[in-house]
Amino acid sequence: MTRYILRRLLLMIPVAFLVTIGIFVIIRIAPGDPVLTYAGENPDPVTIAAVRADLGLDRPLPVQYAAWLSRAVQGDLGRSFQTHQRVTEAIIERLPVTFELGVAAILISVTLALLIGTISAIKRNSAVDLVTTSVTLAGVSFPNFYLGLLLILLFAYVVPGHIFPPGGFTPFATDPGDNLRRLVLPAITVATASLAVNLRQVRSSLLDVFGQDYMRTARAKGLHERAVIVRHALKNALIPVVTIIGIQIGAIIEGAIITETIFFIPGIGRLAVQAIPSQDYPVVQGVVLVSALSFMLSTLAVDVLYAFLDPRISFGSAEA
Amino acid sequence: MGGFGMARRSAWRFTAIFAVLAILLSACASNTPGGTGATSAPAGAKAAYGGSVTFAMNSDITNMDPMLSGLFVDRHLMYAMYDSLVRVTPKGEIIPWLATKWTVSPDGKTYTFTLRTDVKYHDGSAFDAASAKWNLDRYRSTKGSARVGELAPIDTVTAVDAATLKVDLKTPFAPFLSVLIDRSGMMLSQKTVEAGGADFTRKAFNAGSGPFILTEAVKDDHYTFKKNPSWWGTAANGDKLPYLDQVIIKPITDGDVRLTNVRTGQVQATNAVTGKDVPTVKGDSTLVYQEIAGIGNNSLYPNEAAGFIFSDHRLVKAVSMAIDRNELLNKGPAQGVGSVAFGPIAPSHFAFDPNFKPYAAPDIAGAKKLVADVGKGPLKFELLVSSGDAATLQFAQLMQSQLAKADITMDIKTLLFNEIVLQQNDHKHLGMTLIGWSGRVDPDGNVYDFVYTGRPNNAASYSNKSVDALLDDSRTATDQAKRKDDFQKAQQTFVVDDPAMIWYSYNAAQLLTAKNVQGFNVFPDQLPRFETVWLQK
Repeated sequence: MTRYILRRLLLMIPVAFLVTIGIFVIIRIAPGDPVLTYAGENPDPVTIAAVRADLGLDRPLPVQYAAWLSRAVQGDLGRSFQTHQRVTEAIIERLPVTFELGVAAILISVTLALLIGTISAIKRNSAVDLVTTSVTLAGVSFPNFYLGLLLILLFAYVVPGHIFPPGGFTPFATDPGDNLRRLVLPAITVATASLAVNLRQVRSSLLDVFGQDYMRTARAKGLHERAVIVRHALKNALIPVVTIIGIQIGAIIEGAIITETIFFIPGIGRLAVQAIPSQDYPVVQGVVLVSALSFMLSTLAVDVLYAFLDPRISFGSAEA
Repeated sequence: MGGFGMARRSAWRFTAIFAVLAILLSACASNTPGGTGATSAPAGAKAAYGGSVTFAMNSDITNMDPMLSGLFVDRHLMYAMYDSLVRVTPKGEIIPWLATKWTVSPDGKTYTFTLRTDVKYHDGSAFDAASAKWNLDRYRSTKGSARVGELAPIDTVTAVDAATLKVDLKTPFAPFLSVLIDRSGMMLSQKTVEAGGADFTRKAFNAGSGPFILTEAVKDDHYTFKKNPSWWGTAANGDKLPYLDQVIIKPITDGDVRLTNVRTGQVQATNAVTGKDVPTVKGDSTLVYQEIAGIGNNSLYPNEAAGFIFSDHRLVKAVSMAIDRNELLNKGPAQGVGSVAFGPIAPSHFAFDPNFKPYAAPDIAGAKKLVADVGKGPLKFELLVSSGDAATLQFAQLMQSQLAKADITMDIKTLLFNEIVLQQNDHKHLGMTLIGWSGRVDPDGNVYDFVYTGRPNNAASYSNKSVDALLDDSRTATDQAKRKDDFQKAQQTFVVDDPAMIWYSYNAAQLLTAKNVQGFNVFPDQLPRFETVWLQK
């Protein structure tokens, strides 16, 4: 197992390397010149040249990349063109915020998916099944920004008492209650996108398991139906669901980009939204690199989790 | 599923998503210190001390250092934490601030300022002439400073004694005082700036001497300011300022969410209300909406470089004649917020001429005739507009339909803002660009760099010798009446007789507050001043 994890970690290096080259080149292909953004309001050619040299953008692209990469491997992702903040520091400040939003969204999505998916599977092709799957499908079809706005307006003007504030963020350490209150609407917004996928996965996995011999055996032993579903069916049906959740880390980060902007939450997504149009290269590169690494680590975690969930899966035997 | 293959595919998917995004997004005021009384307080009401106000701006700041700041939004914080040498009233009059008085030599080249002697920065160090000299020299000589252009007229700065600062200019420069109102005149503690190093741009704690002290800065979330109990300013009635204990400034980018936060009491004030929401806030009895003409403007920049269609300025005039400015303002996304403009000199500028209305109504026949007189066939050009903003596109389409009535074909091309600026600077695009200007207190800041031959912001490549001569004179003349005359004559030329650009609207300066927020005045520069704000109990 340890060898497998180490091998996977080593394999991440070339992937991360390719990602950095990709984003480095693509962000520079985007039209426009960042120097014009950072050279002040009435820049003359001398100032423009000075700013270009200052930002290191007057050097050939391979030289710029090599300089950036040599610092990046030492943990220095450079400084933001826009704010002059260290990119590493900006990301470290914001990662916990996006992480909290992501975890809350996954919790909501998985809990609802398990609940509704199980009911749908048990009551297969019933009116309940039809309604729940249709509603969640409609939910996933809603663009994030639109759903976020609707939730804000709903709780601001329709639901009395302002239970959930219209955006903003309070750190958990400062005020846990306010932190959770402000987290609910954005977490629902992000969760909705993945809910339908998770729900369908739970439903189809359960239907698949329902047809297995061991289910018939469990029932034949005289077990209560609830025990059959919880102990035998759900446990086995969850394995593919774990895979889907792992992959959805990507969808969560995508969702955070829009959701954090609508709800003015200071996370990674908002950092990217501000950096991309102003062509703040170091920030965009840093955010993409960290997002890609997060994704790779989460897929590795899911693979490792498999071994614990399903004893039939072993990572060691193939290498023995 | 899972494993290396999935990770690699998805990592590339991420790269692609970000890349696509990257391409797509690419005084005295009634109660200013030394003023004459509060405006928004009910008659006879006595201002109360204490409380906290949360203010929403429409995007986040990028830089707290006045030397490097290039965005309008940065100044929201600066007016709370920094003092300038001089400030301005809502009517555009320059008033004493850290400089209590000043004299100008007869040749207009030497300014001698008398400075306050009771001012300390938030870090405890004293403000004096040596500090003022250090600040001005830093702004005008540091590599990469965004203030170099504004302070270029300065030759030398001398600290004569602790309370006297002498500034010698290379040539007379009449708008000089107006430059010192804003970032170029903001005074910061040398000790804190130097200690801050590269991080100072976003952690400018204790650097200013202003009415509020920055105590917390969480980017994209909030900026908290505490009252500066030893601030020097007093209200006209003698009250020591500021009144509030705390100010919180939050960036909320979405207009609907911003308004919802005001209406639900999460935020007590904002200066950005979208046009469609103005009728709603005017009808809300829990809110107070103020709106005055701003100093910023919106305009079309034609490419008049040789070989391009608008090198014949008569065609610029034809477009200017064909558009219906009233309809653009009232039926476009602005929904009547702002006012119709014909030139860059705004209503609050001393040189404004209320009778200057050369294109008050569209003249379709006149535009057609002018195009025919030029004799190059039907007029067809491209308008470059920023991508990602539905309102801008809607505006461009309205203008497109107006021009079609005069048989002028305008193709709309959406590009990343940065690319539009690039094409504009290269003078290679095939028509016009649609870009606004936040405005400056002196009309020189709205005119000179845009129409004077060879200036960096003269994106149109406009050149007219008589305009250049008049604008040169407006900079050296010490008599305001003479300057006004120069500006108005130049404006007649670069708007009507030989058009440089097409100005169509002035920005509005807005302020929306909860009803219990008092003493909050709206300024043409749209920036909030918190020192006079108080909460009615």
